Amino acid sequence: MTIKYKSIKEIKNMISHKEISNKEVIQEVFSLINQFQELNAFITLNEENSIKKAEELDNNPSDLPLAGIPIAQKDLFCTEGLRTTCGSNILNNFIPPYSATVIENLENAGCISVGKTNMDEFAMGSSNETSFFGNVINPWGKDLVPGGSSGGAASAVAAGLVPAATGTDTGGSIRQPASLCGITGIKPTYGRVSRWGMIAFASSLDQAGPMARTAEDCAFMLNEMCSHDEKDTTSLDNDIPDFEENLNSSLKGKKIGIVKDLDLSSLNNDVVEIYQNSLKEFESMGAELVDISLPHLSLSVPTYYVVAPAECSSNLSRFDGVKFGMRSEDVKDLEELYVKTRSEGFGNEVKRRILIGSYVLSAGYYDAYYKKAQQVRRLIKNDFDNAFKKIDVIMTPTTRGPAFKIGSKGDDPIQMYLEDLFTISANLAGLPAMSLPNGNIENKPIGLQIIGNFLDESTILNFAHMFQNETNWHMYTPEGIKQ
Amino acid sequence: MDKKTVTTISYLSRLKIDDEKEQKIINDLSNIIEFVDQLNDVDTSEIDPLANPLEKTAKTRKDIVTAKNLKKKLLEVAPSANEDYFLVPRVVE
Repeated sequence: MTIKYKSIKEIKNMISHKEISNKEVIQEVFSLINQFQELNAFITLNEENSIKKAEELDNNPSDLPLAGIPIAQKDLFCTEGLRTTCGSNILNNFIPPYSATVIENLENAGCISVGKTNMDEFAMGSSNETSFFGNVINPWGKDLVPGGSSGGAASAVAAGLVPAATGTDTGGSIRQPASLCGITGIKPTYGRVSRWGMIAFASSLDQAGPMARTAEDCAFMLNEMCSHDEKDTTSLDNDIPDFEENLNSSLKGKKIGIVKDLDLSSLNNDVVEIYQNSLKEFESMGAELVDISLPHLSLSVPTYYVVAPAECSSNLSRFDGVKFGMRSEDVKDLEELYVKTRSEGFGNEVKRRILIGSYVLSAGYYDAYYKKAQQVRRLIKNDFDNAFKKIDVIMTPTTRGPAFKIGSKGDDPIQMYLEDLFTISANLAGLPAMSLPNGNIENKPIGLQIIGNFLDESTILNFAHMFQNETNWHMYTPEGIKQ
Repeated sequence: MDKKTVTTISYLSRLKIDDEKEQKIINDLSNIIEFVDQLNDVDTSEIDPLANPLEKTAKTRKDIVTAKNLKKKLLEVAPSANEDYFLVPRVVE
């Protein structure tokens, strides 16, 4: 009896029917993690505590929604007593004295946090190549990136090591790796999930969400992750629906927005064909395609690369070697302590973004860059507001192509930034968006992005679930890097 | 973007740029700034900036103490501390 590639519900059933014990579930997870160590998907494992928790559940069975379910937590969430690095050298010895609200919510629902997943340093990257702890490998090919920044999470789910993982998404960090690894992931509406205890990158864009193999498992996870949290002033106190309730609603008459302004000519032909086939699939389920215009969409990436670095340069000023994390040795004064710690602690991409942020916020440039980007951000949001008056969802490809080779984007940051071309706008507008597998190109998976209206996760999960009822792209698994 | 600007912003960022990496950083930053300069093609003269997608000001909560005293736990994870304070190199002679 194996749990590999089983859904959360299947594992729950296996446990409740005594086909497998909680301890056996967790033991298998660690045996799989061990077997696929070369994926480098985890930075820190939580084996001893996980086994202990599973034994307790075997002695005292629980009917909590996620009782005994092994979940991999992105190493950006603070976990009390468990090392949390955010993929950075500057936090390589940091053991948080408290847990993020998301972690508390999931653990209160009974899940077992088996370990902390690898990620781009401070979530700044789209290939997991900026992690201090090394590249993560995509299970679909040992020379392929898993995407980023939630690359370890995507790789672990795609390889079947865990049924689900947490991720965070500032410009595509859940959806892009989900696309490149052939799994399903959702970034909820900004404010839906508490950011308390998440290590901040860009506070007006960051949002946590689940990554799993199916939309159904994502809905199940999201039900437990969302909460109104007084500790996060941007946490929404709107009603939180049961995200499973609408999964099977009919798509008949629902309207899918197709973005006229999107230039698909720069994409791989196969990506376009796969995208169009998916649209036909939705039409056959009764949905209608409606042309929409998002005239400022092409400015999403430049807007993001002002707003995100500005917020990052401010957020990351807290890493100074004084209160937590690493501190450089042999310094003569406080100023040198700051400079040396930060220069040794941060990697190149993080430094680059801090410098850009300091530049666009500095006297004389603030209006020209930061204010300007915030104005364009409003235009982008207005475009979405107008479009959603006549449609239910928007669909685009998630990525420009399938997983690329490790090292292939070279040293040009802009080439890497353009990886997030389709995903960034949802963060700027605060909208929920997800990616689900919808095809394969040369045995590499690729995803479809569904963007929803404000607070309307239920509808995008409904579209995704209905698609997964009719297709089996989400069931494909990589042959594995080690047979 | 030139050497002087990079020196200023690296000072503001409390980051030291190694001499051999300086030219590469100047080039990268110039390219990024040139890339984001396309924002100037849009007329935004009548547009209010959007700082946060919720456009709400921070909510207030009831004035009840909810924070736990984590002093001991926080000092324990500091690189250098005594029983009451974080320790840093001497700042006053």
